[in-house]
Amino acid sequence: MREHVKGVILIVSLGIFALLGVLVSGAHVAYAHETSIVLTLIAVALGYRIYLHGIRSLRHGDVTAQLFATIAIFISVIAGFALPSASATGTAEAVGYLTASAIVAFIILAGMTLEDYIIHRTRGALETLIKMSPTTARARRDGMEVEIPIDKVKLSEIVLVKPGDKIPVDGTVISGHSTVNQATITGESISAEKTVGDRTFAGTMNENGALEIKVEKIAEETTLAHIIQLVEEAQEKKAPIQNVADRFTTYFLPIMAILASSVFAATYFLFGFEVALARTVTVLLVACPCALAIAVPVAVAGTIGNASMNGIIIKGGTHIEKLKDVKLVAFDKTGTLTVGVPKVVNVKSFGNHSEEDVIKYAAIAEKFSEHPLSKAVIARATETNVKIPDPRDFKTIPGQGVEAHYGNKHILLGRKMMETRIPEEANQFMKRIESEGKTAVSVALDKDFIGVIVVADTVRENSVEAVQRLRRIGVKTAMVTGDNMLTAKAIAEQVGVDEYRAELLPEQKVAAIGELRKGHVVAMVGDGVNDAPALASSDVGFAMGAAGSDIAVETADVALLGDDLTKVEYAISLSRKAFSRMKGNIAYAFVWNVVALSLAGFGVLNPVLAVVLAEAGCLSVVINSALLLLNKPQAFVKTSREVPLRDDLR
Amino acid sequence: MTIEKVILNASKEDCTGCSTCAIFKADNLRHAIARLDGISKVKVDEITRKVTMEYDTEKISLSKITERIEKLGYQVKILSPEENR
Repeated sequence: MREHVKGVILIVSLGIFALLGVLVSGAHVAYAHETSIVLTLIAVALGYRIYLHGIRSLRHGDVTAQLFATIAIFISVIAGFALPSASATGTAEAVGYLTASAIVAFIILAGMTLEDYIIHRTRGALETLIKMSPTTARARRDGMEVEIPIDKVKLSEIVLVKPGDKIPVDGTVISGHSTVNQATITGESISAEKTVGDRTFAGTMNENGALEIKVEKIAEETTLAHIIQLVEEAQEKKAPIQNVADRFTTYFLPIMAILASSVFAATYFLFGFEVALARTVTVLLVACPCALAIAVPVAVAGTIGNASMNGIIIKGGTHIEKLKDVKLVAFDKTGTLTVGVPKVVNVKSFGNHSEEDVIKYAAIAEKFSEHPLSKAVIARATETNVKIPDPRDFKTIPGQGVEAHYGNKHILLGRKMMETRIPEEANQFMKRIESEGKTAVSVALDKDFIGVIVVADTVRENSVEAVQRLRRIGVKTAMVTGDNMLTAKAIAEQVGVDEYRAELLPEQKVAAIGELRKGHVVAMVGDGVNDAPALASSDVGFAMGAAGSDIAVETADVALLGDDLTKVEYAISLSRKAFSRMKGNIAYAFVWNVVALSLAGFGVLNPVLAVVLAEAGCLSVVINSALLLLNKPQAFVKTSREVPLRDDLR
Repeated sequence: MTIEKVILNASKEDCTGCSTCAIFKADNLRHAIARLDGISKVKVDEITRKVTMEYDTEKISLSKITERIEKLGYQVKILSPEENR
């Protein structure tokens, strides 16, 4: 910020001196011309940033717009003193030349400062992230609760987080219960519940409860710090389209040299030295190679910054260019399109027992089991606030199920029912369930068949929306999974993907991606760990739920820090927009230069107009690119309904 | 706290053809360094990309700093490490 204030002060004083110069030259005072010349020269001198830049860049082997401007201003100043017309008609003419130089310097300096400021703002997203980095933590020292600077926090110690506090470290909750807004990391505005055993991230906001957190990562190792580092690195990586712009700028010097000297020569023979000089100066001033060169880097920074605010890390300009061409997105199934954890999706009772009874007895029998299916049953029972009493004589029957006693009742649970008679209706029901790729668990009470619990992995609530949004922007979808055909078919139909491939081993997944890539640019979305090979073999690999998993972030081209799949479409749409803007800007800057140079060459412009044109061209490109930062994703509206149960299963 | 001053050159094959680009890139670099814990002063020359900085040796090592700069795609050459001023 201080830099900008300094810049503005320079511009204003330059302007004041130039203005004073003009006023004094017209006033009827002694030594008016001389005073005016001095004032104007001071004004010109205040544009020193331009000349420093121009001259030093030349020493460094670069040719810059500032160099052209420096030469032009220098020529003008010399002309003011040396031209025959200036000395013949007295100092008034000299003042004219000098004033023009001062105005030119004023406009260029103002343009430079404004561009700097806008570009600085492009970093806004990154700055916001950095501001999220906590600076202090509350820890226990000598039995006292004290606030300490973040760099004094030690690994494995316990930090205390009060309601409304920022969470200072990456760690695990060891006591307490709260909701935490993780938007800084995941880009998701809906707060996450945190309780004992859950992971927390530095820079996220604790909302309503107090938490005690065991420190696992601090300072530069936290997820937030990694995100900031990744964004910094990504912004430094060139987009291939940049090469087009760079090539133009390399040819710029020879073209300008030829152009300026031919304009000078032609005008000299036609109109004489003075006109030739003015016109050459104009040509030098009107050129803005800058607009060409800056268009892409600013757009890349804007895009990556925008994405990072939405929980998406795009790891470089190359991926923006690839993303815009994506025609098919392949999703992994388990843990990507689905939650990845089995859940009770339906309960059907038989005989005169209620569905609640079925769940209750099943939960009692499963209470001490570690099987994923048991966890699903117990989770369902807990949801309905049923107290689960302890069973007696709990026993697992390998490959079949569990049995246990409760009171004087015997509970049997599993796929095989021993000597229990299964009603024909239940048999049919279970067959249908299994044909849909779900798991049916039978429950028997004292050898009476009382019901069936249907357990299945459930589709993530944003999967359907994600697929629909992709379809809306003309991108096809596919699902690749190692799971069996039946389950795959059921999930594929539910989510609505265009095609699916099932029963794939990891290396077959890679082959499947290879096949899909024939004729399409393919993005693959997976968890980034198990799917790493498939992600690597696609054109753009998306890792989802990547917050906290360094491997996932490392392997992916694009990391979705949360698990909102609709961000896939956003990343593609944003990249399309960004790329078309880069291309547009390059074309626009090119045409602008050609038109402005022709106008200057044919004497339509004067130096002041020329410099206004050049700065306007450059500024409009910078602004247009920086505006990418303001793009916003369409929010995913969380509906209360879970995955719809199909009516025929009720 | 032991403050050490170091001057290094960060070079990269890219176009800094005009002030806007040059300032943009130098600013990125300056920011990435300044953000690190233990850096007290940092200046980056827009054209030559000469980096002048002061850092606390108890908080960060020079190799950590250069590693970070290299991660951003620069080649680092240390010009003058002045011992404990």
